[in-house]
Amino acid sequence: MLKYTLKRFIYMVFVFAIMSVILFGLYSMIPGDPARAEVEGLRNVLKPDEYQRAYELARERLGLNDPTHIRYIKWAKGFLRGDFGTSIIHKQPVDEVIKTPLRVTIFINIFSVIAGLLITIPLGIYCAVKKGTRFDRTVQVLTIVGYSIPSFIFALLFIYFFAVKLGWFPVSGMKTPNFTGTTWEMIKDYAKHLALPLMVMTIGSLGGMTRYVRAAMIDALSMDCIRTARAKGLKERVVVLSHAWRNALLPIVTLLINWFMSIFYGSLIIERMFNLNGLGKLLIDSLFNQDYNVVMAIQLFYIVIALSGNLLADLSYGIVDPRVRVNK
Amino acid sequence: MSTSKAPNNKNKKNKKSFSSLLFGNLFGSRKELSILEEEQVQSPWRTVIRIFRSNKVSMTGLIVFLLIFATVMIGPLIKPIDLSFSESSQKDIAPGFDMMKVPKELQGKIHDIAVGPTFSIGASTDGQLYIWGKTRITSAIDIKNLPRDEKTNQLIDMGKIVKVAAGTDHVLVLNEDGQVFAWGNNRQGQTRIPYEVEFVDIKDIYAGYQLSIIVTEDGRTIHFGSTMINDYDEFHQYQGQIDKITMTQDAVIGLTYDGEVVYLGSKVNAYSNIPENMGRVIDIASTASTVAAVNDEGKVFVWGNVTASKGEGNVPETDSKIVSIQGGRFHYTALTEDGKVLAWGANYYNQINVPEKLNNTTVKQLFTGSYQNYAVTEDNELYTWGLKGYLMGTDDLGRDIFTRLLNGGRMTMTIGAVAVIISTIIGIIIGSLSGFFGGKLDLVLQRISEVVSSLPFLPFAMILSSIIGNSLDSNQRIVLIMVILGLLSWPGLQRLVRAQVLSVREQEYVIAARSLGIKRSAIIFKHILPNIVSIILVSATLSFATSMLIESSLSYLGFGVQAPHPTWGNMLYGANNSIVIQNYWWRWVFPSIALGVCVICINVIGDGLRDAVDPKSHER
Repeated sequence: MLKYTLKRFIYMVFVFAIMSVILFGLYSMIPGDPARAEVEGLRNVLKPDEYQRAYELARERLGLNDPTHIRYIKWAKGFLRGDFGTSIIHKQPVDEVIKTPLRVTIFINIFSVIAGLLITIPLGIYCAVKKGTRFDRTVQVLTIVGYSIPSFIFALLFIYFFAVKLGWFPVSGMKTPNFTGTTWEMIKDYAKHLALPLMVMTIGSLGGMTRYVRAAMIDALSMDCIRTARAKGLKERVVVLSHAWRNALLPIVTLLINWFMSIFYGSLIIERMFNLNGLGKLLIDSLFNQDYNVVMAIQLFYIVIALSGNLLADLSYGIVDPRVRVNK
Repeated sequence: MSTSKAPNNKNKKNKKSFSSLLFGNLFGSRKELSILEEEQVQSPWRTVIRIFRSNKVSMTGLIVFLLIFATVMIGPLIKPIDLSFSESSQKDIAPGFDMMKVPKELQGKIHDIAVGPTFSIGASTDGQLYIWGKTRITSAIDIKNLPRDEKTNQLIDMGKIVKVAAGTDHVLVLNEDGQVFAWGNNRQGQTRIPYEVEFVDIKDIYAGYQLSIIVTEDGRTIHFGSTMINDYDEFHQYQGQIDKITMTQDAVIGLTYDGEVVYLGSKVNAYSNIPENMGRVIDIASTASTVAAVNDEGKVFVWGNVTASKGEGNVPETDSKIVSIQGGRFHYTALTEDGKVLAWGANYYNQINVPEKLNNTTVKQLFTGSYQNYAVTEDNELYTWGLKGYLMGTDDLGRDIFTRLLNGGRMTMTIGAVAVIISTIIGIIIGSLSGFFGGKLDLVLQRISEVVSSLPFLPFAMILSSIIGNSLDSNQRIVLIMVILGLLSWPGLQRLVRAQVLSVREQEYVIAARSLGIKRSAIIFKHILPNIVSIILVSATLSFATSMLIESSLSYLGFGVQAPHPTWGNMLYGANNSIVIQNYWWRWVFPSIALGVCVICINVIGDGLRDAVDPKSHER
C-alpha cells in the first residue's frame, strides 16, 4: 500500500513538472513585454537614452533576456520556495491575492456539495427501491432536464423569479456595501446574498448525482447477496441501507471524489453570474486583464488538486471495498 | 451485445469495405424477415433500432431534435445574418408584430399618422388620438402614458387632435384650438413646451431626436429640447420665411415660402451643401442622414450623407410627376400626381416593397417614418408595408433575435459536432491502439489520457482559448474552440473503446483473423471496430450534448465564440444583469429555451440509445 502510494506520488510530481513546463511554454509565447509595461511611466520623465537604459535594466532584472529554459528554471525555483510572482493588477504577491477568493470558493462549494448529498443520496436510493413506479419515472425525466440545462440558465431563472419578481434575495454580490451591524446581522446579510447562488449550485448538481446513485443502487440490489439477505428474512430496511448501500458505495465514491475536486473550480460560472469574489471570478478577471502570474498560479493549483484527487480516488477504493485493495 | 456475431452476410462477398460494414450494420440494409426467422437471426442493430423505437421518450427527443436541427440548418439560408448589422433605433424591442397594427376604430377615418422608431401615433378625422406599436421606451417611459395634470393627476383633455408628430422617444400633438401637448422622454426638455407657444398661431409641429420644433403661421420656428446633437441655430436668418422643416438625426433643414431650401444650423456639413439650381422646391423630407427635395417639375434631389449601400439617392424613374415626398429612417416614399407611390432606399425590412395592389388604385394619403409606411387610397382602404415587428424581439444592438437564434443554433451545433468528431477520432485511435497492443504503449497512452482527463475542463478550455485566441480573428477563434473542445474531451471515449477492444480481442473471430495472417491494423479497423460501433455511437451522442453545453458556457463567459458571430451561449453574454433580466426577458428566454430543449433532447436520445444497445442497462 505504502509503496503504491509512493509510486503514485512520484508519478504525480512527474506529471506536474511536465504540465508546468507546457504551461510555462504557452505563457511565454504570449506577445507582450512586461519590462516595457514597467518602465512605460518613465517615458516622459527620462531622456530617451536614460529611458532605454531603464528599459534594458528592467529586462535584465525580470530575466527577459535569458532563453526560455533558464527562465523556466528560475521560475520553478521561485515556485518551489512559494514565490508565485506578483500580480500586475493587484500589485501584490499572488498568494496574497488568491487567499480570500479561495476561502469563498471552498465555502460555497462545500456547502453545495453537502446540501446536494443530503438530497441526492436518499432520493437515489428511494428511486432505486421504487424502480419503475411513477415517482421514479418522474424523477428520471426531471434529472435529465436537470443535468441538460447549464447552470447559467438556472441562475437566470432564479434571479428572475426570486430576486427580480419576488425580491426575496439581492441580485448579486457578497454583502451589502458599507454594511455595519452586529455579527449576527452580518451573518444574516451574508446568508441572504449567498442563498441564491447556493440554491442554483445545489440544484444544478442534483440531476447527475441522483441518476448515478440510483444506477449504482440498482446494480447493488440485483446482487445475489441481496437475495440471500432477503431470504434470511432480514427487514427490507436493513437489506437496502446496509447490504445494498455498501455495495453501491464503490461507484459513488469515485463520483464523490470528482465532486470534491470540483469544490475548487466548480463554481466558476456561478461566481461570475452572482459577482461573488471567488477563485473562478478571479481567474476570469485575471484572464481578461492578462494578469498571467495569477492565472498560472490558479491553474497549477487546479492541476495539483486534480492529480491528488485521482490518487485519493484510487486509495479510497481500497478503503471502501477490501476486494480491490492494492497490495503491490 | 453486438460483439458476439460476425456479420452474417459475410460469405456473399469476400471483401467488404470498412464503411459498408459499419453502415450496413448500422442501418440494416438486408431484406425483411418473417417473424420466425427474425427471432432466430436478428442482427444486433435491428434489435437496437427496435428497442429504441419502442422507447417513446427517446423517440420524442429524436423527433424534436431533428426538427430543431432542420430549422437551424435550413433557417439561416432563408434568413441570412449580416454580421456587421446594428441599428440603434431598434434596440431592445419586445417580441410581437403590432408595429403597423392600426387600431380598427381609426381605419377608414385616418386624418394624420406620425411614425416613431417603434411606435406610431395617429389622429382620426373626428380628432381622436390613437397610439400603437411598441410604445415602451424604457421601464419608466411609455408613449401610451398620456400626459396628466400635475396637480390632480387626471388625464388632460386634449380636445380635438388635428396634427401629430413622433420623435425618437417623444411625441407632440396639436389640437384644433392651437394647443400643443407633448409627452415621452423629457431628459433634454423635448416635451417642455415653452410659454410663448400659447400666443402664436401654430402651423405645424415636428419632433426629432431630442428636439421638438414648432412652425408658426407667420413663418417662424420655435424649438425646445436639446440642440447639442441637432445642429439648429435659433437665430437663423430665415425666421419669418419658413414654410416647413424636416429633421434628420442631427440637423434641421427648412423650406421657405419662396420654395428655397435653407439650412437652419450653424455648421458647414453635408446637409448644408444644398444642391444649386433646384428650381422652386415644393416639398422636402429627410431620412436619418440624408435630405431630399422635390421641385415643381417633379424632380427629386437627394443630398447629405448618401451611401451607395443604402441607396437613398437611387430615385426610381417615373412617367408622372412627383408631388410630395416623405422620409423613413433610411428610405424615401413619394406620391405622384396621379396617386401612385414610389419608394427607394434601404430595404432590410421590405420597407420599399410597395404592395402590388396599390398600382391599381389612387393613393390619397401617404405616411412614412422609420421603417413603416401607411397609404390610404381614395376609397379609404389602408395599406401598410415595412417592418411589422420582431418574432422574438431585438437585442441591445437592434439585431433580430430570431435570426441570431437560427444562425447561432447552426454555429453551436456545428461546433459541437466538429468537436465530437475530433474527440471521437482521437478516442477511437488511442483506445484501440492501447487496447489491442497493450504493453508499454498502453501504459504511456493511459497516463496521457489520465492527465488530460484530470484537467479541470472549463477553466482549462478558458485559459487555452484566451491565451491562444488573443491573436486570432473571430473565424479562427471558432476553429480554435472546436479544436480545444475536441482535444480535451477524448479520454472518456478512449477508455470505453479500450475496454471493449480488450474484451473483444480474445474472441474466436479475432484469433481466427490473426491466424489467417491478416494485418493488425486490418484486424482493428475491419474486424473489431464494427463490433463496438454501438458503444461509440452512444458515447458520441452524449458527448455532443456536453460539447454544446461547454461551448455555450465558454461563450457565455466570453471565452468562446465572440460577437458578432452568434451562438446560443454568447447571445446570453450580455444578459447577466438585473436590468436585462427584468426588462428585456426576450433577450435571455429564447436562447435559453433553445439551448435547454436541444441538450435535453440529445441527452434523451443518448439515454435511449444506451438502453437499446446495452440490454442490461435497460433492465434498470
